[in-house]
Amino acid sequence: MSKLINFITRSRVWRSFFRHGWPDNPLDRSLVMTTNIFFHLHPVKVRRKSLRATYSFGLGIISVIVFTVLSITGLLLMFYYAPTIERAYSYILTLQTRVPFGQLLRNLHRWGAHLMVIVVVLHMARVFYTGAYKPPREFNWVVGVLLLILTLGASFTGYLLPWDQLAYWAITVGTSVAGYEPIMGSAIKAALLGGPEVGQEALTRFYALHVMLIPGVIALLTSLHLWRVRKDGGLAVQDPAEEDKE
Amino acid sequence: MSTNESTKPLSRRSFLGLAWAGSLSLIFAQAVIATLKFIKPISTGGFGGLVYAGKLATFSINSVNRILAGRFYISRTEEGVIALWQKCPHLGCAVPWNEQEGIFHCPCHGSTFDRVGELLGGPAPRAMSYFPVEVVDDEIWVDTGHPVDRSHHDPSHLTKI
Amino acid sequence: MKRTTDKKPESFSPEDRQMKTYSLVELVKAPTPMADHGPDDTIFAFPIVAIMELLLTLGVILALLLMSLAVNAPLEEIANPIITTDPAKAPWYFMGLQEMLEHGHPTLMAILMPTLMVLFVIAIPYLDHTPAGKGIWFTSKRGKRIVLFTAIYVCLAMPAYILLDTSFPIREILRGQLPDFVLNVVFPAIIMSVIVLLPLLVLLRYQPNAREVMLALFTVLFLSAIVFTLTGFLFRGPGFELYWPWNMPGDYSPWDNL
Repeated sequence: MSKLINFITRSRVWRSFFRHGWPDNPLDRSLVMTTNIFFHLHPVKVRRKSLRATYSFGLGIISVIVFTVLSITGLLLMFYYAPTIERAYSYILTLQTRVPFGQLLRNLHRWGAHLMVIVVVLHMARVFYTGAYKPPREFNWVVGVLLLILTLGASFTGYLLPWDQLAYWAITVGTSVAGYEPIMGSAIKAALLGGPEVGQEALTRFYALHVMLIPGVIALLTSLHLWRVRKDGGLAVQDPAEEDKE
Repeated sequence: MSTNESTKPLSRRSFLGLAWAGSLSLIFAQAVIATLKFIKPISTGGFGGLVYAGKLATFSINSVNRILAGRFYISRTEEGVIALWQKCPHLGCAVPWNEQEGIFHCPCHGSTFDRVGELLGGPAPRAMSYFPVEVVDDEIWVDTGHPVDRSHHDPSHLTKI
Repeated sequence: MKRTTDKKPESFSPEDRQMKTYSLVELVKAPTPMADHGPDDTIFAFPIVAIMELLLTLGVILALLLMSLAVNAPLEEIANPIITTDPAKAPWYFMGLQEMLEHGHPTLMAILMPTLMVLFVIAIPYLDHTPAGKGIWFTSKRGKRIVLFTAIYVCLAMPAYILLDTSFPIREILRGQLPDFVLNVVFPAIIMSVIVLLPLLVLLRYQPNAREVMLALFTVLFLSAIVFTLTGFLFRGPGFELYWPWNMPGDYSPWDNL
């Protein structure tokens, strides 16, 4: 057995994938983080204090996890959906009644969306109340606020897609609010709806925003956000010198 | 270069730099304008042209009747008729006519309007919009392509009969 | 790196070597990453962080699965532009905005105030850039008390305002006697500003630092947003009237709107 493992891990193919040995020593544990694309957003070493569950509650990581769950379930839902006002609703009915696990998938996407909004808001509150926006993390706080707005946008655009009464009137009310913005209001509303009221054009536009533009920008900004966390020295924790003073 | 920098208003290097920056911003700006034009909806009018509401005789005086096809109400008073757009001027909900209360009562935020669309209460900022009405041979025709927004109701908004 | 010493590079002639090839250019007053810091208590991120992330992933997926098995996502009848549902509500996270709309002109309540709020939130790190007290919940004992008192204040003041404005709406009582602009814009703006700024005025008597001002202001805005959202989402029933969530008329339940 160990011979087989040895053979695999020493092979040219394996070593072309992984450029580090088994991570049981400091060197390889560093190399895991620096040579693996999924880990390279993490620092090599973290402060013990920043790992305490009651400090961060893991809210930032949970947002990333929920976003991933939403991306996967959303992609699967796209297989059984088309954004036309004649068929969108019947697609949802088909999904719920005839497609195996269709209802479950839709539930996961719906509750996941609500969870993401809640978690992202709580994450912002956590960062504020622990003073983690202080220098050098000012810019990352701004990116975070943008991500919160985008999360609301992703959820709002997705709300219209089932094309039921709930969706229709929620979006009618929601977009009418935008019309009251004094300078660009009516232009923004028209650009969102693609017409005078919520109809086929609005559904098409919301679909494009929901499945492509907003998640794409979220993914991009999340990468920036995580990279900045690492560049700014990991999670903000109390300076040890200050702790001694207390 | 051998010439004195301070006597020269603009060196060739910085001129070329400025020219590049300027052209690139122009290209960028026209791309932005083109995108905005692209996003702007192609249909901006209402949802239709002339809608036939019905014979004048079918609308009794002091009655409010809903014409589903045109999304408006025909309200007839002693002075004339008015075609009120069902859309609440507050946030766009369809305002139902409440026969018992004798008012339009919006379910979204509780705005209320009287039978000619004048604002009675609630958060709506103005009276209900109306469509121009034409009465031809005792038939009521409504032009749903040109809604009229108004701050208050005025008797001149009624079409005399 | 090893340099072969048998052949001297031409630029390093003996004359050159006697000259100083470096000099102090400037002294900069700025913190270095490690200056004045004690030893950090760090550990290798791998595998502990990877394990924590795996556990969190499993936990989140389990929670979502249980929720999805227990409750189905709502689906009403097909969209009908002619009939408005009663009540017609925005998605729950915008119900705070819709509730605000009930108390003043839309441009003030749904555009101006939220925009100011977002701009303030974005500006927080530029208004309060003192490094002290980061990494500690509520920064200090005093910070904790400020947040607690502000929270109690908001949880009393905002519901009271919503109730008062609904039962004795100035707008309706004085309609026609004062211009609409005064009733719908000026009055709500003044009332809202007073409610939001009152705890700050009290706090200013205790010589707060920037962080403490931020703590008070953010708590007021954050909790107000929550109070308004919950009111709009849970307590508004048919006709957008106030009801107890468990005592809605008809077969309406606020949870159907999720």
